[in-house]
Amino acid sequence: MNQADISHLVSRLKIQVNPRLRKFRNPEGPLGRLKKLRKTVTALFKHERIELNYPRAEEARMYAERLISDAIRYGDCHKTTMETADFWIEEKQLIHKLFKVLVPRYEHSQTSYTRMYRAPRPYPGPMHKKAVLELRGNPYPPLLPDFVSNRNLIHNVLLDEAKKEYRSQKYAEIAAKIESAEKGALQIENTASEKSSIEQNASVSEQKP
Amino acid sequence: MLVSTIRHFKAVNYHARILRTFSSQIKGQSSRSDTSKSLSELRNVYVEFLPDPTVEFRNPIREKLERLDMLARRGQIDIPEFYVGSILAVTASDPHSLGKTNRFVGICIKREGCGLRAKFILRNVIDHQGVEVLYEMYDPALQKVEVLRLEKRLDDKLLYLRDALPEYSTFDPDMEIEVLPEGSRVPVNPLKVILKPKPWLERWERQNLRGVQEFEISERDKRRADKVATPWLKYDLMKNYMNTIPEEEQNEIFSEIHEQLQQLELTRKKLKRKRSFVKPFKLG
Amino acid sequence: MLYISRPFTSIITYLNRNIHTSKIQCEIQKQTRLRVVDNSEIGKRAMAEGRPPKCIHVYNKTGVGRLGDKVLVAIKGEKKKGVLVGLKQNQKVKVPKFDSNNLVLIDDNGTPLGTRIHVPIPTVLRTILKEKTIAKGTDYTKLLGIASKFV
Repeated sequence: MNQADISHLVSRLKIQVNPRLRKFRNPEGPLGRLKKLRKTVTALFKHERIELNYPRAEEARMYAERLISDAIRYGDCHKTTMETADFWIEEKQLIHKLFKVLVPRYEHSQTSYTRMYRAPRPYPGPMHKKAVLELRGNPYPPLLPDFVSNRNLIHNVLLDEAKKEYRSQKYAEIAAKIESAEKGALQIENTASEKSSIEQNASVSEQKP
Repeated sequence: MLVSTIRHFKAVNYHARILRTFSSQIKGQSSRSDTSKSLSELRNVYVEFLPDPTVEFRNPIREKLERLDMLARRGQIDIPEFYVGSILAVTASDPHSLGKTNRFVGICIKREGCGLRAKFILRNVIDHQGVEVLYEMYDPALQKVEVLRLEKRLDDKLLYLRDALPEYSTFDPDMEIEVLPEGSRVPVNPLKVILKPKPWLERWERQNLRGVQEFEISERDKRRADKVATPWLKYDLMKNYMNTIPEEEQNEIFSEIHEQLQQLELTRKKLKRKRSFVKPFKLG
Repeated sequence: MLYISRPFTSIITYLNRNIHTSKIQCEIQKQTRLRVVDNSEIGKRAMAEGRPPKCIHVYNKTGVGRLGDKVLVAIKGEKKKGVLVGLKQNQKVKVPKFDSNNLVLIDDNGTPLGTRIHVPIPTVLRTILKEKTIAKGTDYTKLLGIASKFV
């Protein structure tokens, strides 16, 4: 049983964390693993949406989330955070993006900062599982089909018809109102013109003496 | 001298903060930020209340029950705040000699374990013989734990004292309690110890020790140390994440128990005040 | 440890593992050097000459010396018996662990050769040695009488 390390504070991640980290075995050892992952993390920060093999996506997602959460927590004036960002982001202009674009974007976010989807694997081809990894709030059109606004779905058709009917009813009501209002206005105008002529006469008679 | 000046300079301590929080709560003006601040400070003092971060060992119900047991034990015996590098005196009942107790004074060189299994190692040199005793913090055989000198050292573990000159781990068993001025932070002792020449118990040159004076190592050892060094470990964000408990969880744990802890703190303060009263005596 | 008498296959496995646990665990076994901590003449001279006694037998079933075990040592060309009164090995809770493997020389009756032990000895020995002492057998508890300090 070990004691929890309390030398640094971290925020809780908003994604499911895989407790057993993947090894990504390679000749450079654990450092090589990090180097592999940081390519993915850099690409994610650069393109905001990438398609890649599933294990790598899941692993890189956790690191990207940690990097963003640390950046939000400590800001760009914190030395350790800056060093970590410098290690994880290979293209240095993206460090500015992390602190100036992504941090304000996710500052008050209640959900995770990234999304991951299972992607179809190419057939015929390798049997690897594929995934799409993206930052939330990216500028691309959404990946999932937008069922809410598909006009051909039966409930949308029915809703549209109902809307039409309701609208035509309303139009009819409005037209009836306008008509009645116009009639009333004409009458009022007539009476008003009579009144004004009487007043004018009165004023004339007042001026006369 | 240096230590005392540091003690004087560093203001704002944790006790004062806790007291302040408590008094503000009594007045009914508990400010949330103050409480959360003291919560995050609690982790330094009561580390063993945090569970083991290893996923396989997590069990929320057991952890909660353990915390209750720990609080119950703390109600029976005063376990003060101490750190690695503090000098402690532990009085434990001795089953091997009837009706007697055993008092051991030494420097805390390691703290390990969490929950009821929290342990610490004390080290001292008695009659030119280095002696170390491992104590469990919540052992019912412990009768008294006193902190004779409250301070920290530069490292998290002082196991290198085993290979250091004996004067660095020699402490007088009849030492008086050194009282820190009220409202001062726990001082860090910047002492750098001198290691004995090789052979050592561990390869200290590989451990980036800060509390050890520069020592000479051979070119071969240096090369080997460089070969096995892991400077990238601080960048492995997920590994660091899994070695610690996230702040939200820490706050959940400490918000559960911080009232009881404060109560214990207050009773300790009262006892201390009673103890510090010295009867005036006639001069001449 | 490598034993020549072991079968060849097990030697291969040992070589493959390439680890030696006895040294790291500071176990007392045959050939281990010990430190005499009483003021017996032979012990003092052996320590002063820089030829500390060597364990040549451990009187228990495991062959690994624990606290309070009797050992046979080779000291200054003689065979003497002694009791282990302090170990370097990690100990249980509240049992002290020392920086050296300490030995007190005794004769066959359990009477210590010296008259004083100049280092602290663990209080657990009181119980351990009492248990080891059999009526009309060797009386190990005499050793406790010459101890200067208990931890």
